[in-house]
Amino acid sequence: MSVDEPRRTHFNKEDVRLAATCVASGLLLAVMTGPAGNPESPLEAARLSLFTGHVWGFLLFGIVVAVISVFRRKVRNGEWQSSRAVPRRSMKAYFGDFLASMSTSWWVAFFALAVLLALAIADFTGPYVPGKLSFVQLFTQLHDTRTYGYIGFLWWIINSIRLRRSVHARHGVLPGFMKTPVFRILASAFGGFIFAFCADPWLPERFSFSYFKFGGGSTTAFLSHLPTWLWTACGLLLGVRAVLGERNKTVHANRLRARQFAVSSNTSIALYGIGLFAAFEAPKFLSPFWQEAIFQQIGIFCFLAIGLNIVVGFAGLLDLGYVAFYAIGAYVNAYFSGALPIQPPFILNPFLSIPVAILVAMTAGVLLGLPTLRLRGDYLAIVTLGFGEIVYVLANNLQNLTGGAGGSGVIGNFSINVPLVHLSLNGQALGQDLDFYYLLLAFMIPILILFTSLNNSKVGRSWAAIREDEVAAASLGINGLKYKVMAFAIGASTSGVAGVLSSVKQGILFPSNFALQVSITVLVLVIFGGMGSITGVLIGSAVIGWLLQFLLFHSFIDYQDADKYMYIGALLILTMIFRPQGIWPAKRRAREFHDAEIGLGTADAVGEPAEGPLA
Amino acid sequence: MSEDLIFDVKNVTLRFGGVTSLNDVTLEHRRGEILAVIGPNGAGKTSLFNSLTGVYQPQKGTIDFNSARNGSSAIIGKMPHSVARLGIARTFQASRLFNALTTFENIKVGVESGQKTGPIGAMLRLPRTRHEENASDERALELLEFVGLEHRLNTMADSLPYGDRRRLEIARALGTNPEVLLLDEPAAGTNPVEKQELTNLIRKIGRDFGISVLLIEHDMRLVMALAERLYVLNFGSVIAQGTPDEIRANPTVIDAYLGSTGPDAAKESH
Ligand SMILES: Nc1ncnc2c1ncn2[C@@H]1O[C@H](COP(=O)(O)OP(=O)(O)O)[C@@H](O)[C@H]1O
Ligand SMILES: [Mg+2]
Repeated sequence: MSVDEPRRTHFNKEDVRLAATCVASGLLLAVMTGPAGNPESPLEAARLSLFTGHVWGFLLFGIVVAVISVFRRKVRNGEWQSSRAVPRRSMKAYFGDFLASMSTSWWVAFFALAVLLALAIADFTGPYVPGKLSFVQLFTQLHDTRTYGYIGFLWWIINSIRLRRSVHARHGVLPGFMKTPVFRILASAFGGFIFAFCADPWLPERFSFSYFKFGGGSTTAFLSHLPTWLWTACGLLLGVRAVLGERNKTVHANRLRARQFAVSSNTSIALYGIGLFAAFEAPKFLSPFWQEAIFQQIGIFCFLAIGLNIVVGFAGLLDLGYVAFYAIGAYVNAYFSGALPIQPPFILNPFLSIPVAILVAMTAGVLLGLPTLRLRGDYLAIVTLGFGEIVYVLANNLQNLTGGAGGSGVIGNFSINVPLVHLSLNGQALGQDLDFYYLLLAFMIPILILFTSLNNSKVGRSWAAIREDEVAAASLGINGLKYKVMAFAIGASTSGVAGVLSSVKQGILFPSNFALQVSITVLVLVIFGGMGSITGVLIGSAVIGWLLQFLLFHSFIDYQDADKYMYIGALLILTMIFRPQGIWPAKRRAREFHDAEIGLGTADAVGEPAEGPLA
Repeated sequence: MSEDLIFDVKNVTLRFGGVTSLNDVTLEHRRGEILAVIGPNGAGKTSLFNSLTGVYQPQKGTIDFNSARNGSSAIIGKMPHSVARLGIARTFQASRLFNALTTFENIKVGVESGQKTGPIGAMLRLPRTRHEENASDERALELLEFVGLEHRLNTMADSLPYGDRRRLEIARALGTNPEVLLLDEPAAGTNPVEKQELTNLIRKIGRDFGISVLLIEHDMRLVMALAERLYVLNFGSVIAQGTPDEIRANPTVIDAYLGSTGPDAAKESH
């Protein structure tokens, strides 16, 4: 305590901000658990709950959390050298951690609110369909305590994950028995069970307390429901994986530090959780019109964009014939449904024609890629453009193969008929849009996970290296052609799967569905969203998909469907002027654009290495 | 052939239209040796490197790599990435880092290029992928520490200061586990302190790792301190070779290079 020493301020701006957010989340919780609103005055409930007694409880809660967080941070940063600087590993520390992790995830709450708001706006601006929820009704439904309980529960789960990870990094805060493999596996399985209870979208009357009656009702329905046990099994597997994964891990402080950048942060894991939740839940609040739009346009857009993102975003290759693979997938499915003039040797369920479509699209990708990927940027664009047109013209002109411009026959249904699971999705039947949407989601989520880990792997880094400087990459032993063909093949097969999925919904294929404009539109989705960023292209697809539907049904200026390319073009130009890296750019890509602006390297979409002098 | 040669370059001629970049160049690089190639600007030093790494294909002559140890060892006719796989690593005169990747990732790209993980393994994070990823993490950290950049782990390559960029490039090349390292003007544009560090680093690579080093450099103090032998190029031809002392005393060399204008590193550094 020397006088000469510059006085340390004990509370800096960050502390104040943290405390404020803690208090605010206390208030938020108070409103959430307050009385239900009513349609006439939606804000009434919020007003009421702010004056009831329990608001003080939550405020106190927020303040306690804030104090704990600030204290922990001070100790961790070594700013407070007290006898307690080395936290004891006790249950108390465990709960301290837990509370702190809860309060600092206010971004999660913010994000959830933003998503809900966006959905509300989307629905509000949609066309009126009889039976559609009005905005006010939507609001009340959201204000239903149970919904909030639901969100809160998810929040809790996400925090538990965050906690586990942070605990993990610092070793052994948990009491001994909690670290035993058996306990952890069981805990994880239980987590899956809880999740099934919360999020299972197939439950007939989901999450209604009358269904899961606590007061002597039947829990057998829930327990005999297949998805319940699927989720539980997922939890179990995750637990096993975590336990096994640790066994051969030498914990190296430096390595953990290094990984911080590669592995997505806790916050983004939480955001993914919220995104997943919104993806499961949001469509149920939408009108049938938007439910269909979400599958037919936005969902398929997302699918196509994710695949093209591999080619354009990750590998940096400009592919203008991407729709060809989409067409190939669709026609493969039509062929095996017996919907084309030539009959297949055997009829396949669309589920089974997916692997065939993957194989065919991938082969086409490799065959096209091997000769053309040796070409440089502009030539590649032209050759792929030509390929797209060839497929389109073939589909149009090979009357007795594809049915020509008049369209194919009717394509079969998705159906599964094994014990416990009976599913049949008919694209033309009414009221099945949501089922289609969940089917799409069932394909999409694994693909998102696979592609994310691909991007964070050796392969992703090699793509980035080739994109930036092919000569330097080659000097390290990276075979550029091999990686480019790989990107092409993966993109093509994704597009093929999208083709199968959408062909079932469309029912009949017309070659005009596979025109050049589709390729260009998908490219715009990727560029607008942010090349190389999976989250970005999903956002891009959603925004543009929504925009197109919106324009279609608000024909304020005599809008025709074909006009959409004008709007898309305008959007692209605006993007290029104001935000060339896209609305949600990938870290790596944003960097490249920055470098290009200050004259370092290139951010060329076609991935030409800087023509820098070798000498 | 009694000698254990890393590079055995015989009568290599490389032309670009009317320009002859390399004219009947013959050069022997012994295993474990630090060999320097010097010469004025435009002498053909970088062209020689590019020919040794498969980037340029000379019209005449042969280049054998490691011929005493492996059978077919011709470099000419191979693609650059296959040449790199043989155990030849290089840096570039104008640094060519992957600017959008971090320091750590830059090195990992080099380390991982020899690993077996394919797209399926990477997507599913199969056990082998995770095993290899851990191995490359460890190796990349070792190399970062070796060149003294461990505190820059998560820095994007484009925000590194100049001297650090040069060292990162060396570390990235070392990541491929080479038998020979080709350094193209590694000290160009660095300050005296960095030059001293670089000298120590290159010596360590040569002595401790047993990696042969082929060095292009204009800074004579650095070259004379490091190189065991030198080749002097002028207008694409070898005009002299020998130990540093011999070269210093060689009148042809003094005439062509050392004497008149003196080594001018700054002129070519950009
Ligand atoms: N790709 C190329 N195309 C045409 N000329 C080249 C090329 N590469 C090098 N040269 C020529 O070869 C000569 C030697 O250049 P270089 O090897 O870069 O010299 P140094 O590295 O010794 O300064 C120069 O005259 C240069 O113009
Ligand atoms: Mg040069």
